[in-house]
Amino acid sequence: MGVPRSKIPWCPEIDYDKCDFCMECDKFCPHRVFERRENEERKLVVAHPENCVVFCRACAKTCAPDALSFPDKKEITALIKRLREEGKSGGGDG
Amino acid sequence: MGVEMDKLVVLPCNGLDKEAGALARELSLHLTRQGAKLVCPVLYQRSPARYKKDLAWGELLVIDGCKTGCASKLARERGLKIARRLNVAEMLDKMGIKGQKDPVPETGHLSALLSLLPDMLLLRKEEEEEERFEEILFSESVEMKEFMVGKFLFKVPVAGYYFNENDCWARVEGNLARLGVSDYVQQSAADMVFFDPPEIGAEIDQFGEAGSLESTKTALDIISPFSGKVKAVNHRLVENPELVNLDPYLQGWAVELELADFSSERELLMDCNEYYSYLREKVEREFREKYG
Ligand code: SF4
Ligand code: SF4
Repeated sequence: MGVPRSKIPWCPEIDYDKCDFCMECDKFCPHRVFERRENEERKLVVAHPENCVVFCRACAKTCAPDALSFPDKKEITALIKRLREEGKSGGGDG
Repeated sequence: MGVEMDKLVVLPCNGLDKEAGALARELSLHLTRQGAKLVCPVLYQRSPARYKKDLAWGELLVIDGCKTGCASKLARERGLKIARRLNVAEMLDKMGIKGQKDPVPETGHLSALLSLLPDMLLLRKEEEEEERFEEILFSESVEMKEFMVGKFLFKVPVAGYYFNENDCWARVEGNLARLGVSDYVQQSAADMVFFDPPEIGAEIDQFGEAGSLESTKTALDIISPFSGKVKAVNHRLVENPELVNLDPYLQGWAVELELADFSSERELLMDCNEYYSYLREKVEREFREKYG
């Protein structure tokens, strides 16, 4: 998209009040976004947000307690456009 | 009432779970009183042969209760040809009525649906005719470039398509675009069994959802490469979702949009060459991770 992935804040967020650590989302996603932590209270974390495919929300469908949420698509699209513009103008004359 | 019941065979939702389902059942009974034949979804599932004669007698009308579309799925699993489809939840939405939790239908809701029914039955037919007319705009052949990873062959068109990183494509013709999913999606999701189209007239954002597909393995949203207004949906795909598997870039199109902002939105997308490299790299990486 012409913008480094690290600048796009798109990834799932786990609501730990709802999550029951069924691990369905992790089983589903092939991109190694989640990581399991056997010995911790939060047995699943979003360890690699940058691996998440921008605008994908597929894992949310596998989550029965509806514990996964994502940023607003419109806002992220606007941000990407803005970052592109800044990239083009070189960002040096401010 | 002025509907010609030209030999309707009605397959409704079972109608026990929610009000929308119960209303689907009531609609079907109403049509039966007008001469339509009824297929009971439960009995049909157990002994399909019982309905062979009835199904051959007329055109199939499927009435789904809610958006899960169980009746449509049943018809599809059994390879029935769906001539028309109604969805009670959508009809209620259209009239601004909120369906209730209590599965015993409210009489007011039923009469509202009955008033809409004649139009809905006619509408479906008109939509089909419109679609046949529009089909001519988009030519039905395209040149492909291929690559192999392991024993899997992947195809990407040579020109004329735009892709996003969600493996959805748009094919642009004037100010219209058809949307679909790529060959890669088709192969990783396996057999498509259900297409839930968006509403005609709906406004879709760039990267917003333009309907969804369900395969034997997974469910996925169609992420629209462009923003725009839904002009048409592929009714053939509603009946035969496997067209996505057979011909993902042409007959497997899902939605037609009237574009809102092609030139600026296009900048956030890949053209055919870019997608080819992107996909190839992705598939090779996945292959390495899987097989070492
Ligand atoms: S949104 Fe998609 S890519 Fe991101 S974690 Fe979920 S399934 Fe994986
Ligand atoms: S699918 Fe939902 S409940 Fe299960 S582990 Fe993932 S976030 Fe938690």
